[in-house]
Amino acid sequence: MNDPRGSAKTSVTDADTEDVRITLASRVWLLPWRRRLGEVVAQATALGALVVIGIVLTILSPHFLTYVNLSEVAVDAAVTAIVAVGQTLVIVTAGIDLSVGSVAALAGVVGAQLMVNQNLPWLIAAVGGVLVGALAGLVNGGLVSWIKLPPFIATLGMMGVARGVTFLTTGAVAVYGVPAGFTALGLGYAGPIPVPAICLVVVIVIFGAIFTWTKLGRYARAIGSNQEASRLTGVPIGSYLVLVYVLSGVLAGFAGMIAASRVESGQPNFGIGLELDAIAAAVIGGASLFGGQGTVAGAIIGAFLIEEIRNGSILLNINTYAQDVIIGVVVWVAVAWDYWRRRHITDRARAPATAEIPRTSSAVTPPFPRGLRPRN
Amino acid sequence: MRKRRLPLVAAAAALPVLGMAACSTTGSSSSSAVSPGAASASAATAAAKPLTLAVVPKAIGFDYWTHVQAGAMCAAAKLGNVTIDWNGVAAETDITGQVSLLNGYIDRGVNGLIYAATDVKALLPVTARAQSARIPVYNIDSGTTPQQVPLFATDNLKGAHEVSALMNTYLHGHGNVAIIEFQPGSMTDNQRKQGFVQGLSAYPGLHLVADQPDQSDASKALTVTNDILTAHPTLNGIFGSNEPSVIGASQAVKQRHLSGKIVMVGWDAAPDEVAALKSGEISALIVQNPFRMGFDSVIAMTEHLRSGVSVANEDTGVYVVTKQNMNQGQFKAILTPSCANPPLPSSDPWLKYVHMS
Repeated sequence: MNDPRGSAKTSVTDADTEDVRITLASRVWLLPWRRRLGEVVAQATALGALVVIGIVLTILSPHFLTYVNLSEVAVDAAVTAIVAVGQTLVIVTAGIDLSVGSVAALAGVVGAQLMVNQNLPWLIAAVGGVLVGALAGLVNGGLVSWIKLPPFIATLGMMGVARGVTFLTTGAVAVYGVPAGFTALGLGYAGPIPVPAICLVVVIVIFGAIFTWTKLGRYARAIGSNQEASRLTGVPIGSYLVLVYVLSGVLAGFAGMIAASRVESGQPNFGIGLELDAIAAAVIGGASLFGGQGTVAGAIIGAFLIEEIRNGSILLNINTYAQDVIIGVVVWVAVAWDYWRRRHITDRARAPATAEIPRTSSAVTPPFPRGLRPRN
Repeated sequence: MRKRRLPLVAAAAALPVLGMAACSTTGSSSSSAVSPGAASASAATAAAKPLTLAVVPKAIGFDYWTHVQAGAMCAAAKLGNVTIDWNGVAAETDITGQVSLLNGYIDRGVNGLIYAATDVKALLPVTARAQSARIPVYNIDSGTTPQQVPLFATDNLKGAHEVSALMNTYLHGHGNVAIIEFQPGSMTDNQRKQGFVQGLSAYPGLHLVADQPDQSDASKALTVTNDILTAHPTLNGIFGSNEPSVIGASQAVKQRHLSGKIVMVGWDAAPDEVAALKSGEISALIVQNPFRMGFDSVIAMTEHLRSGVSVANEDTGVYVVTKQNMNQGQFKAILTPSCANPPLPSSDPWLKYVHMS
């Protein structure tokens, strides 16, 4: 499902190239209604679930709807949400990034080591940690784009490599002794608002703009919709795909630095399972593992939903194992919904929609003469 | 991770805990077959035949394991004519790496093999192979299931019992407490929790109101502790059952300005844990004795090889370190163990075989 060259996408039809052309030509909000509908409905559903669960928790626990608890939820969700935004960008290209948890841990310990062992100013060291994330993303992107490894395999390898390097560089010992200034990143407040929440807002603004306004956002959707057709339409897939993984690595590194700041140390065990939370957040928020669909807003809603469930479980003293069951079931529902909407909304809508497009205006040369398409 | 310490279900030797005399009998059973002449014979072992002992931790480069190494090296130096081959894999999860490392030592024909098992099952064939090659094997810190060779390790159940007793003391018998677990399902985690819960049952005024795991991730420990503090504003005590649990939980307590108001009892003695103990954020730390694991196992192996002394399981004990006692003799020794200042109780049955000056 994560292989962009999978059998489902190898057959390129005129309709596909038209689809890609439209994707490239339009702003997100002008995309064909059928494409937007899936995302909007998924987001609305997730947002509805977020609100309903919030109301239920407010009724069941006097502690839920308090400033202390909600700011705590926001801070906890911020780390997952920042990673989930990068994950969504990757998923939109029909890829997946399994390495984000390990990369976050690596960034955290390297950043902490730069501060503690090299005595670098904390800001420079933190940027160094983020750059480690970018480097890991570059390797991921290179493996996917240039070596043509399936994203699942490329990032699965990086998941092991980054965690292994984390343990090797630290000897599996946490890095203690970070400077006081650095702790503001995870523990500080600007007025009543925790700094990690502000970091999240910055990420939302920047990546919302990337998704909506930039070539990268449109190309990512096009690549995810149909990589082959995008190539034929002239999208420089290689470099953009690399950039997508680099950005995912950057966000993982950033989240790792925030997490390190929160516990005032570089923890080699950080982020085990974070990749799964990030994928779950993206999917709950309407990203399709088949590519082409996914938004920043969805990722944020998904991450907050997961965090809300986790927080609520502890407030209500629900067994810890039950939390994982609940989140697992939510992911099932979200993915089942993804399949269902593709089968019943998108595909039904596709036939008449493609017929409406005047073929003669197409700038795309059909890859094969009609009737001579390769059999797959 | 190094948190997986196997227990000593049938621990024979007991240790002074909290500076108090141990409740059970001190372990003459650890060296039950010592003949009266054995001690005097060992005094002359400088001329005894040279021995090479392989000592293999779960992983190298870890603070905890360097203490095991220091103990082993110290014992070898005191015994004379004993060479320690110290080597280990890079990560405690590298089980196959440890298996091949140990097999290498067996092939080289070391005189004795002492190792901390990275897995309770996977290392059994290695032990069997060494024994068939007539190389005696002892486990330190973590053993195998079934435990077929002597094990020098911490009794986690007993250590966790101490935690509940401490809670009772600090809270004067009344209060709500929580435990931050690290890896539900791992034997060490289970025993620390079991020991704590069993211990609490003796104190009807103490109530366990929350129990959350953190997967040995300090960030998760911080999050769950925050949520526990929100859900239970009347919480009085927290037991962090390994290093990341303690780091995360004490961070949450600090952020909520509850330091000193909530009793924190932790496990292990990482630098930040000791710093938090000093600053009063943590009330007490349960500290294991890795130095003694290395020290006692090397002496036991040497005496077994040279004099035929028989060796049984040994509880290497825990120390309860507090802000008040952390700079005193034995407690200082346990935090910074060295051959010059070894953290060894006078009841250590193996002390009589060497001259500590």
